Amino acid sequence: MLVQGGRLIDPAQRLDRLFDLRIRGDVVAELGEHLQPERDEEVLDARSAYVAPGFIDMHVHLREPGNPEKETLRSGLSAAARGGFTAVAAMPNTNPAIDSPELVHRLCEQAASIGFARVYPIAAITQARAGKDLTDFDALASAGARAFSDDGNTVMDGRVMLRAAQAAARRSDGVPLIVHCEDERRKNGAVMTAGPAARKLGVPGAAPLCEDAMVARDVLVAAQTGCALHVAHVSTATAVDLVRFAKTAAGDGAIAVTCEVTPHHLVFTEADVLELGAAAKVNPPLRFAFDVGALRAAVRDGTVDAFASDHAPHTSAEKSGDLRRACVGFTGLEIAVGAYAHALPDLSLTRFVELLSTNPARILGVPGGTLRVGAPADVTVFADEPWRVDPAQFRSKGKCTPFAGMSLPRRALTTIVGGKIIRE
Amino acid sequence: MRTRRSLIDLDDLRAGEIEYIFQRTADFERERPPRLLDGVACVNMFFEQSTRTMTSFTLAQQRLGADVITIWPKESSLSKGETIEDTAITLAAMGVNLIVVRHSEPGFPRRVALVFDGHVVNAGDGSHAHPTQALLDLYTLREEFGDLRGRKIGFVGDVLHSRVAHSSIAGLRSMGAEVVLIGPDAFLPRDFMQPHVRIERDFDAVLPELDAIVLLRIQRERFESMPLSDREYVAKYRLDARRLERVREETIVMHPGPYNRGVELDDSVLEFAGWRYARQVMHGVSVRMAVLDFLINGARSLVTQ
Repeated sequence: MLVQGGRLIDPAQRLDRLFDLRIRGDVVAELGEHLQPERDEEVLDARSAYVAPGFIDMHVHLREPGNPEKETLRSGLSAAARGGFTAVAAMPNTNPAIDSPELVHRLCEQAASIGFARVYPIAAITQARAGKDLTDFDALASAGARAFSDDGNTVMDGRVMLRAAQAAARRSDGVPLIVHCEDERRKNGAVMTAGPAARKLGVPGAAPLCEDAMVARDVLVAAQTGCALHVAHVSTATAVDLVRFAKTAAGDGAIAVTCEVTPHHLVFTEADVLELGAAAKVNPPLRFAFDVGALRAAVRDGTVDAFASDHAPHTSAEKSGDLRRACVGFTGLEIAVGAYAHALPDLSLTRFVELLSTNPARILGVPGGTLRVGAPADVTVFADEPWRVDPAQFRSKGKCTPFAGMSLPRRALTTIVGGKIIRE
Repeated sequence: MRTRRSLIDLDDLRAGEIEYIFQRTADFERERPPRLLDGVACVNMFFEQSTRTMTSFTLAQQRLGADVITIWPKESSLSKGETIEDTAITLAAMGVNLIVVRHSEPGFPRRVALVFDGHVVNAGDGSHAHPTQALLDLYTLREEFGDLRGRKIGFVGDVLHSRVAHSSIAGLRSMGAEVVLIGPDAFLPRDFMQPHVRIERDFDAVLPELDAIVLLRIQRERFESMPLSDREYVAKYRLDARRLERVREETIVMHPGPYNRGVELDDSVLEFAGWRYARQVMHGVSVRMAVLDFLINGARSLVTQ
């Protein structure tokens, strides 16, 4: 296959130029100017579009097994392809939780049979994500797990977290612990950030300290143990300051910490909950304009390593009505590419691709993230074409997003996974 | 995106919109308006006791030709375990256009507005806000003084629990008035209010300075136990014959009602030339008519002017 006429952006090769891309079988075969189609070769017209190594969303909830009414592997992976992602990392907060090699193996097999996009399982840190007994990292990694996380259940017990970090550090492959940082006891049932909007709504709010304190703890645990730590969805100015400190303090990257940011934390604030209600309920909760500004700055200055959507589909009924009872999170895969560009219109394309492909591949230690000759032929073709978000058109079963109705400046056109164009 | 306007607190209205509502209020008092809310279905939900506000809203709705339904939540499915959100969605499906709600829980009306596909008017939520009362108070003050710039308005008593005070203060300040909060520590913690409001403990000292005195009822239902006795309160803060002698002649006295004779005021206040309670109540109906008209027809009326 020949991907022709596009502007090829591959930060790993420091490439940003009009280049054609030839794929043979499931790998990249050739890059160059004005490549001519060979006989019977399929040609993908990428003129006025960008061609990048396949985007990887490293924070996605696929809800299988356990909650097919929210999402299935099929609907979720179809949404990933529609959104421009050739791979996703699947969080283990399923029912049952992904805490055994059998479940990891089954997820890999099912995902492979469905296609659309690759799935990299994230396995639980503790059995049943209960925060007590560690899972068997070695067995889980052998089965295919690419990271460990208890996801929305922050590991509250500091001793358990330390043991997990030691276990991760013992492995030579640098497998990361992905931490959702919210102190559940401090949070104490809060449904949003404490502030003017929470007061107006009369609902319990929690201060950003909930997140900041746990980020600080986990950064220090990583420093002591040498494990690779990836902080999920940083949302506060202080949390990014802590990550920045960790990255620079000890020099030579002695603390192996990385972090990701979501589209919604780059755009919305707690005040938007007054308009959007349950649709804007998410963990960590939407913060203040001050934090949004700090997150955007952290993306520009390199503190943030990855964009991740925290795609968390729920049924429409679960995302409407009483703010205090509504489910937490919302759909992200299909708005992500447009939303990042909306939040950061001046971000360079090189940095954009780094955050969506190069860095997620590096953090997860997976193939892809580059279009070097010989690399897997996972490609995302995208363009600066404005479009309006209409959740009714989503492939995901989750139709709730705070971006509904907004006009976004960028969209994915085509994904290629293992040399095959994905038609969802 | 939500486009329907609600009035939950005074800061939901821009300054120009408050002016517009006041202008319509004056129009409605000059001449009884046509059926501006013909075919508009209003549901009034009062989870807390109310006579004045309930009657005032109902009259306002009826005078504009709206269909008015009253729900006593204790008798409705809300007591059968349905959430207010589900009730609001059900009402919208029936074609209800506007809900007036009073509830003891701060934030309750804002949460109704989040899910109700229509307009919501807050008729008082706990000690949080009561925007139509604030509007009618502002209107009464404006009628009296015209320009409020530099006028000193004193709120006396249980400011802590007064949703009226909470809603009015920002509006008064935006109109250039000086707000003085007067009361004992228990009703008025030092760190309670935003800056720019003056806190006074000594009513007698500040009395001659005030252009308007707004007396507040002690909200006994919101205290677990009373922090001071009636006798102590009366001695320091009751407006009575003795204190009225020290009030300037042109000063007016207001009260959001219901008032407790013998506690925050005595009978001599009801005879006082500056007692404006009846004006407030009268303006209350007209202001609510103007608010309802603004929420339902706002843009249309502005265009046809």
